[in-house]
Amino acid sequence: MSEALQTALQNTFAPGTLLVILLSASFGLFIGAIPGLTATMAVALMVPFTFFLDPVAGIAAIVTMEACCIFAGDIPTALMRIPGTPSSAAYVDDAYALTQRSQHQTALGVSLLFSVTGGLIGALVLIVAAPQLARIAFEFSSYEYFWLCLLGLSCAAVVSRGSVSKGMLSLAVGLLISCIGIGSTHGVPRLTLGFEQLESGIGFIPAMIGLFGFSEVLRNVLNPVAQSTSVSHTPKEPAASWLGTAIREVFGTAFVQLRRSFGRVMTSSAIGSLIGMLPGAGADIAAWVSYAVSKRRSTEEQQAEYGQGSVQGIADATTANNSSLAGAWIPALILGIPGDSVTAIVIGVLLMKNLTPGPDILQDPERLPVVYSIYLTFVLANLLLIPLGFLAVRLGGQIVRIPRHVILPMILMFCIVGTFAIKSSYFDVYCMLAMGILGFLLERFQVPLGPVVLGIILGGRLEETFVQSLTKSDSLFAFFERPIAALLGITCLIVWLWPVIASFLPRGRDV
Amino acid sequence: MSDANRMKCRLPTNAICTLSGMVLTALLLTGCRRSVEYPNRPITLTCPWAAGGGTDRVSRQMAMYLEQELGVPVNVINATGGQGVTGHSRGLLAAPDGYTLAMMTLELNTMHWRGLTNLDWQDCEPLMSLNEDPAALFVRSESPIRSMKDLEETVHERPGELTASGTASLAAWHLALAGWLLSIDRPPGDIAWIPSQGSAPSLQELMSGGIDIVCCSVPEARSLLDSRSIRCIGIMSDERITQEGLEHLETFREQGTDWILKGWRGLGVPKGTPPEVQERLVTSLRRIVTGETIVNDQSFPAYMDGEGFDRTWRETDDFAAFMQETDQVLGDLLTRDEFKEVKSGPVGPLAFPLLASGLAAVCLTVSGIGRLRAPSDSLAMNTTSSHTTGQQPAVSRVAFVAVPAFTAAYALLANTVGFIIVAAGILFGFAMLLKSRLRTAVVLAVCGSAGIYQVFTGLLRVTLPIGWFGW
Repeated sequence: MSEALQTALQNTFAPGTLLVILLSASFGLFIGAIPGLTATMAVALMVPFTFFLDPVAGIAAIVTMEACCIFAGDIPTALMRIPGTPSSAAYVDDAYALTQRSQHQTALGVSLLFSVTGGLIGALVLIVAAPQLARIAFEFSSYEYFWLCLLGLSCAAVVSRGSVSKGMLSLAVGLLISCIGIGSTHGVPRLTLGFEQLESGIGFIPAMIGLFGFSEVLRNVLNPVAQSTSVSHTPKEPAASWLGTAIREVFGTAFVQLRRSFGRVMTSSAIGSLIGMLPGAGADIAAWVSYAVSKRRSTEEQQAEYGQGSVQGIADATTANNSSLAGAWIPALILGIPGDSVTAIVIGVLLMKNLTPGPDILQDPERLPVVYSIYLTFVLANLLLIPLGFLAVRLGGQIVRIPRHVILPMILMFCIVGTFAIKSSYFDVYCMLAMGILGFLLERFQVPLGPVVLGIILGGRLEETFVQSLTKSDSLFAFFERPIAALLGITCLIVWLWPVIASFLPRGRDV
Repeated sequence: MSDANRMKCRLPTNAICTLSGMVLTALLLTGCRRSVEYPNRPITLTCPWAAGGGTDRVSRQMAMYLEQELGVPVNVINATGGQGVTGHSRGLLAAPDGYTLAMMTLELNTMHWRGLTNLDWQDCEPLMSLNEDPAALFVRSESPIRSMKDLEETVHERPGELTASGTASLAAWHLALAGWLLSIDRPPGDIAWIPSQGSAPSLQELMSGGIDIVCCSVPEARSLLDSRSIRCIGIMSDERITQEGLEHLETFREQGTDWILKGWRGLGVPKGTPPEVQERLVTSLRRIVTGETIVNDQSFPAYMDGEGFDRTWRETDDFAAFMQETDQVLGDLLTRDEFKEVKSGPVGPLAFPLLASGLAAVCLTVSGIGRLRAPSDSLAMNTTSSHTTGQQPAVSRVAFVAVPAFTAAYALLANTVGFIIVAAGILFGFAMLLKSRLRTAVVLAVCGSAGIYQVFTGLLRVTLPIGWFGW
């Protein structure tokens, strides 16, 4: 065994580090479960603590926190229909539909098992292929990013519940909202109606909490949902078999699903890793693309389930968003270019501990043990997620039994405070309110909400990459000149024209 | 509910009642236990830029050292947006009581020239500037441009061909590059500026061959510079950087161009803050920047050196003079005619919103046609469900209107009345509207508001408003 690996094992499995990992996991689960609190915020809060800790423990804390946080985001997604993270918005309808049928343990169990699977495969990709894959990041310029953004947005519009035109309408609304404020492309205020406070635009977190959470509270007030009762509640069972029942409840369907669909797991992880590895493209695009691919691969009758409680859909999307986390570390470690906002903070921490990321990081005997520790932590964190996530799921399961007149006020308060906590801004609370009313109206007319959020997140990027590309080359043909851009562009066209293409293919095509 | 169930509910409720009584008492005591001396409650530090960036890192470090010095929590808020407008406004238009500190950056000198806000450096009481990172130009290692001389020649021979990026249009680094071009009597358009959201995406674009030059500060490009993937051809400073590993970077001045532009960062408070408060803050800041304050065996200067940030610091009047000078230089730049034409790109600012509106209109029509044929399912479903469940529609409607009302009430009242009172009010009111029992509603109101308060202020370092009674 190489010396570096030995050092890494010693450092990672030191009692102090393990304790830090355990604490960060709990912290991550907690943050993820509260709507409005993001992994980025949590990492920023953790940075002062990393000064106390040695480099391995500090980075291990961040890795673990991130992995647990993105899983925990599925808990409010399923139980309260409020996506904990933007990537959960891809399958919020499915997860919540299962909760309404008293199958929340199944939904969360599937989410947990496939999150862990996705995380482990993503970590494997990071370990095995980081330097080779990092080079792909250098092939991505504004043309490629433009098509990637468009692909993510198109997937969201096309596969959302309801007709494609409503999906596109929802997308258009999201894009329009993203135009509010001072964009980086032109540097002038747009659609602000003279209000200086609108110059910062409408943030995606207030929008997400408003569209999903607030509108759900409104809906619930108007049409009370029947209180779900736990089906198999037998309090007098001895401890061992109670655990067995609990495990069966949570993981039963998940294991079956895993055995059945290993090929899909591979596809989703691949999508997640590849998209996550591109700087600036992350879990949200990965989740939507994976969900879309998953839906398109299914038979007609399976497709009808998507949006109504499809376990397959949840599984594929959540695999992708977890494997994208490890992917984001590829450019961060190998190139020093952050893959997402969390790795941007991590690079700062690495620099401070004199561990400069760069292409030679794997050849340097001083930095190599830390890299190996990061790999080990990814694996460890995902494995740790199984028992801890299981506890969180069981705990979360109790939430659905809380009476309506207690849980709705609490959800409302969490919506308000979660929004307020981002920037301590009252204006954000008003934004959340406005978006909540918008969400309620959209749902009334059966317009899906997911594409709105993705439109708000990616709208600016889409416009920016479009203008950047045009500024560089002044012609629309340039969008297809570079090979990867051409590939992505054609994929986009296929997504748009799929109904036409499908009608030419022979009927009765199987998965 | 059956008797057995009701019994089960009562027992935990009694325990919760006792607990809430204790919580209430504790809160009352906390509210009373407060000294009159400044500072006696948490301070907010506003940062106009996103988490992970240079300004955010400096802000969070500074917050740590200030906590040590002042003895109260200092919470950083990333009030991002509007290319700096949001953060600077939030910091400088807050109540001048010394409990909001503003991390200010170069954008304070440019925003008002661009017409984004009326706020400028004269709206603050300058406390201490913390650093001045000069702008620098980077190219790929294999680029034929190896010095400023090469760059000037290329610009002369082939104006308009080179592309550069580093930040948004008309933001700091764009001004740096354009200003340099103007100083050598070339129009700013000679190097096409590709706007981006920051230095990280620009550096990526550089590496992928999409652009030729990146203009940003050295700390932002450190990793790629150290790994020799990119080269720095010049820094816009009067003197070389003294930090380890960066001493070899040549200045513009050494290479024959006398152009300097440095992004600066500094702390200020809103105008009208009491002089004693300012004095206290300046004294603490002085101790921090000179390295007297130690946290975790490290001083602030040591941290800045480690990350490669410049650490030139200026106190109050010196800082004010510096801001005035910078304001003048940038104002001259931004008001020049050649600059006005830089703004327009291939696609105007309203193109994208118009496109989106068009798409929305098309989709609305297409789906509208679909909707007219079959009656709206959701509307039909709603009316039938409210009849079948037999709920009193009147109460639901009141609650329905109450939800937005409660939210607006929070936004309007929380700052004056205080978080705990408003939160308790909302929880109580909403629970009662949903036909809860009085006791449950009270318990929910007390425990819920206290619990949320402790979690957010204690664990997550979010500043929640304190109003009457110190809650």
